[in-house]
Amino acid sequence: MNITNIVHIIGFALILIGFWGMLTQKNMIKIILGLAIVEVGVQLVMVAFGFIEGRTAPILDSAVELSKASELIVDPVPQALVLTAIVIGVAVNALMLTFVIRLYQKKRSLSINDYKDLKW
Amino acid sequence: MVNPIYIIAILLGLGFLLPSLNKTGIKVTGTIFFLGILAVSVISFQWLAAFAFDGQELKMIFTAGFEPPMSINLQMGLNEAVIISLINFGALLGAIYSFRYFAENGVQALVVFLLFILGMNGLVLTRDIFNIFVFLEITSIATYILIGMDLRLKSLSAGFKYMIAGGIATVFLLLGIILIYSKTGTLNLDGMIAAVSIAGSSQILFVGVFILIFSVLIELKVFPANGWALDVYEGSDTGISAMISATSATALLFVLYKVLPLASMDLTQIIVLIGVLTFVVSNLFAIKQKSTNRLLGYSSIGQIGLLIFVIASKDVLGANFEKIFFGLLISHFLAKAGLFWLSGIVKAEKIKGWVKIKKNPILIFAFGTFIFALMGFPPFPSLAAKWSLVMILAENGSFLWISLILIASLLEVLYLLRWFGYIIKLEDSEEKVEKSNHQLVPIYVVTVLLYVAGFYLTRSFDAGLTINFIPLALVGILFLIDFLPAYVKNTLVLAAISYYGYNLVPELDTLKMIFALIFLVGGILTFIPGYSVKGKRIGFYPVAVMMYVGLVGLIEATTFFEFFFAWELMTVGSYFLILRGKRSMPHALSYILFSAGGAYLILFGFALSGAETGSVLLTSLSDVHIYATVVFILLALGFMTKTASVGLHIWLPGAHAEAESDVSPMVSAVLLKAGVFGLIILFIAMRNNDVSNLFYILGWVGAITALLGNIIASFQEDAKKLLAYSSIAQLGYILFALALMTNVGWLGAIWYSINHFLYKALLFLAVGAIVMKLKTHNMYEMGGLIKKMPMSFISVMIGIIALSGVPPLSGFGGKWLLYNAFILKGWYFQGAIIAFSGVVAFLYLWKLIYSIFLGPIKDKHRKMTEVSVWYLIPQYLIIGILMFIAMKPRMILEKVGISLKEYLPEDTVTWNGNAASTFADGKLFGVWDPFYIMIIVMVLFGTLLAFLLVASRKATKVKMFNVVYSAERPESPQTTHFSYNMFSHYRKAMGFLALPLVSNFWDFITDLFHSTSDFFRKFYNGSAQSYIVHIISFVVFFYFILNGGIF
Amino acid sequence: MIKRIIPAILVISIFFMLLKVMTNITPKYDLTGVSKTYAEQGASDLGAMNLVTAIVVTYRGLDTLGEVAVLFMAGTGIALLLRRKKKKKGSVAKKREASEILQTGSKLLVPIIMMFGAYIFINGHLSPGGGFQGGAAIASAVMLMFLADNSFKINHKVFGLIESLSGMFYVIIGILGLVMIGADHFLDSRLLPLGEFGKILSAGTIPIIYTLVGLKVGTELASIIDNMKGDLE
Repeated sequence: MNITNIVHIIGFALILIGFWGMLTQKNMIKIILGLAIVEVGVQLVMVAFGFIEGRTAPILDSAVELSKASELIVDPVPQALVLTAIVIGVAVNALMLTFVIRLYQKKRSLSINDYKDLKW
Repeated sequence: MVNPIYIIAILLGLGFLLPSLNKTGIKVTGTIFFLGILAVSVISFQWLAAFAFDGQELKMIFTAGFEPPMSINLQMGLNEAVIISLINFGALLGAIYSFRYFAENGVQALVVFLLFILGMNGLVLTRDIFNIFVFLEITSIATYILIGMDLRLKSLSAGFKYMIAGGIATVFLLLGIILIYSKTGTLNLDGMIAAVSIAGSSQILFVGVFILIFSVLIELKVFPANGWALDVYEGSDTGISAMISATSATALLFVLYKVLPLASMDLTQIIVLIGVLTFVVSNLFAIKQKSTNRLLGYSSIGQIGLLIFVIASKDVLGANFEKIFFGLLISHFLAKAGLFWLSGIVKAEKIKGWVKIKKNPILIFAFGTFIFALMGFPPFPSLAAKWSLVMILAENGSFLWISLILIASLLEVLYLLRWFGYIIKLEDSEEKVEKSNHQLVPIYVVTVLLYVAGFYLTRSFDAGLTINFIPLALVGILFLIDFLPAYVKNTLVLAAISYYGYNLVPELDTLKMIFALIFLVGGILTFIPGYSVKGKRIGFYPVAVMMYVGLVGLIEATTFFEFFFAWELMTVGSYFLILRGKRSMPHALSYILFSAGGAYLILFGFALSGAETGSVLLTSLSDVHIYATVVFILLALGFMTKTASVGLHIWLPGAHAEAESDVSPMVSAVLLKAGVFGLIILFIAMRNNDVSNLFYILGWVGAITALLGNIIASFQEDAKKLLAYSSIAQLGYILFALALMTNVGWLGAIWYSINHFLYKALLFLAVGAIVMKLKTHNMYEMGGLIKKMPMSFISVMIGIIALSGVPPLSGFGGKWLLYNAFILKGWYFQGAIIAFSGVVAFLYLWKLIYSIFLGPIKDKHRKMTEVSVWYLIPQYLIIGILMFIAMKPRMILEKVGISLKEYLPEDTVTWNGNAASTFADGKLFGVWDPFYIMIIVMVLFGTLLAFLLVASRKATKVKMFNVVYSAERPESPQTTHFSYNMFSHYRKAMGFLALPLVSNFWDFITDLFHSTSDFFRKFYNGSAQSYIVHIISFVVFFYFILNGGIF
Repeated sequence: MIKRIIPAILVISIFFMLLKVMTNITPKYDLTGVSKTYAEQGASDLGAMNLVTAIVVTYRGLDTLGEVAVLFMAGTGIALLLRRKKKKKGSVAKKREASEILQTGSKLLVPIIMMFGAYIFINGHLSPGGGFQGGAAIASAVMLMFLADNSFKINHKVFGLIESLSGMFYVIIGILGLVMIGADHFLDSRLLPLGEFGKILSAGTIPIIYTLVGLKVGTELASIIDNMKGDLE
């Protein structure tokens, strides 16, 4: 078992844990946390897919010889993607929490079961 | 060409700029806001125009100066141009509509809306998978904010549910992207598609593509992962719901279109299934729905489901894919946006509350336009699109899909037109609609656009090229001049019909000419009473003419599509006509349901025929062999919904009886012949296709229809219902006669058609005028009117003589031909039933004339006068025609007989002077000489009359008080009337035949659908957590199906 | 317990789905596809030492612009959703003062964190980091100030202006690429000379863009924190 696999496994585990939280918790904030955990899991998996054992970060400083860069660095693309994914994740989570703040003000409840006015 | 990058730059730049201009006030920021949207609309239109007119080629735009896959690239092709034009223009209208809502929330709302548009444009243009994710998030986040910003509990909780669902979709999407990237090493969509097709079966790729596509499907709100979406539609501001349903759904559909090439065959099949399922289930759930916006939500989701189906069937649809897709998409886009906007103006939570707009003909017109565009009626683009879709699916043998789509479409018709009926027919409410121009303009614009799109898109189909839009233009003009007084429009319509008929009729062959004359002369005769109406009669003329345009279109049709187009046109027009009656709401609904169902059967039948023969001509039906039985049954059933044969008849009595007095003859005497015409076309085409057993069955159906129609007619108290049931029976005769498939039988059928047209028009005009004057339908409330309305009496008298088939009038000829025909054919049992039902007919005919005209007059009718002269004129014209053809039947029948020889070559009737004779095995079989009969009858009648005049000199006249003489006052006075329950003794003997078995059966079917709908929609229980369960179950369920198990 | 069954089934199902992925992952030994091209050409194309930055700012610049838009919109949306009714002065509930340590420590730390944030985004093309990371660091300094001082208020006018202007300039730099180089050069960082590899002022417009992003993200996150810290109604 190498290090990539460990990160993958942790990522997948986080995804499962997050889903479990979303499916079982009644508190809306906890559900959001569940989603956040899933997001983190996915982000870990993304990074792990870019990893190549024994290589260095994709920064072409003195440690990396320019002409052999492609043999020395890990895949920079997933890292760039994760950066974007994180920022967007943050934005969405913040917005979700804002909704919860407003919902709480309406009904003084954080339980998801109290917001079933719209149905069928 | 302006670089499409500028769309992104403009929207984003303005979005960043606006907050800093907050101080300058909403006027400045609002102006900038609109200029921005206008600018991007112009850019997209410019591209659209370049592709449409200048032959612009597909254009790739790179960013950052590098070619893909290194950088993100945008693609601008015809499809992209159409889609972003739609989106940007829709957004512009949406911005106009919702501007007040935005302004209340400050400049931030404007910013969010700009970015919302940006997101959608990006989704359409980009060719990079991760970039799709980014733009998807921009669109979604903007939507969340737009939903939640009014801070109502409903919108906040809806927004929260949306965010949860969107969040799950996002993580799946990301996971999918990285899995695919890890195998293909690129994020560029084109590169990915190429790599995936090379890579073959990699497990990681399989999972990656699967969850990528499923996350898009979740965003598209497919069943069952769509509970949240319904709450969103219901809870959001209607302006925002309009945008979600129209613009962002369009963008997402295009995303699906873009990523679909990644999918394997199996996955594509699953998407096809999901699309159909969504369409069916949404429409099923919708029928129990009473909340306006939620209903619209169901309808939206259903339409999107159908579009998903179309996208996933792209390979099957081939060259027609774009037309079908855009035909359906544009209809949905414009109509649904319009409906949501209307809903925002009406502000009625329940659909019954929409009765508010009753007093606004323009809003009703818009509403009607929207729902008819959704359902796919002419002249809207969805008709041709649905038509082509079904045709192509039939070619590929996808009969299951066709059936499901058609059933779901029928459900859609049910709930949309029930809603429409509420608006037209419910008691008016006191509330008024608050209108503001900035909200009305977008609605008007989409209404007009639907017609424009209908014209262009219908003509873009090969099938649509031959559609004659000129008569339709007349309908349009009538809508525009509806403010004129009725008599002006009446004159115009009469002139138009006469002119059209003058040009058309001489060019037709004999059979078609007969029906053209029925339709056109019928038109003239039934429009004349229109002069008696004072005022404007808003809405009458356009729809009446629409029906006649459809009828004439049937005659002129040579291809399946022309025929179907005309058929639907006629159906819609007649639906509106029937709906005009006072208590007609439920009857009009059942009429349109049967008609739409029938139309779908016809569509299916044509599709099967086209699939087998590859031809679109009506005459190609004769080449159908493999599917002959099915095609024949489908088409016959479809046409029989119009002829109201037994089992399919329950719409007719109410629809005809409750219609306005001059509408009843239109929909009875004239409209029913459309079904006959259809059957004739069908029978002629398929006479040699080994379906003789079916003719035999139809013969029985006709006979039974005749018998039951007459029996039930005898038990009616309502004069117009009596005539309506009588029509059912008469059409039964015609069906029977046609099913004989002999020359003489057909002569009888055509003779019956002509005569039924004449005497039923006569009777409905006469009785209708009386009913209108007396303000009651019940015959036991009439009586003794012979002295007050002698002219009407003569009309009814002639009418019933003709109908009953006693000599000397033309009805006798029909009977003579029919009896000859069935005896020659050897159908004795059926013939006996026909003969017996002819006897039964005397019962109700006697009741009709006796109850209305004879006996003592009611007190309140003592001052009654003759009916309007405008009703009498057509009656006496008809009487003239009736008399003429009774004397000279040869003029018509000989020609018809000869022309029928082409199809039915055996012996026809032989003419000798005025006398007709039939031959069996070369021996004289029967003779009919109208002239001698007339003389004989005249002599008999004269003798009888003289005898009566002599004998009745001593008779005492019966007065009112001679009838009601003594004892207690009965609880229900009408029971003492001589004609109340006149044939109760027969009811004891034959009443079991009149049990409403058929109505009960159809009630059962509707109840079944309603209770299924009500039971299963509880599935959407409103809890966000349940929706999470739905979404995840949806994904894993299909994953395991595709994967063939857990491992 | 029974209520846990459905979630358990679902999570186990997802587990099997992920297991399928897990068991099929093959360790990577080489760069493939587009990342290989980046590694080979990135330095000479764009002159940025940090390849991730080169990808984020230039190659996939459209993503980043979108990302900035997302964050901007989230900030806007949160401000919109948490907008306050105009409250009377003095109605603010009294809060406990921050502790002495926090108050003093923050005075020491805030400038350092701010500088560190600025360092991160200015050096984004040379070392790990960039606009988003630097912006987040700056926002954390602002958050520290909120914690340390109850009465601390950010100047919305200035923050708003910085936010708007930096965003505008970002878009303008993108358009300049179109105008000055060509139709396919939106957001091309080679608008300015690439300069000497490894120096602060190199890699074309990347440092400028990252600075703008840093400022924008910093002010946006700070505003979000400000909006979310309470005092509603």
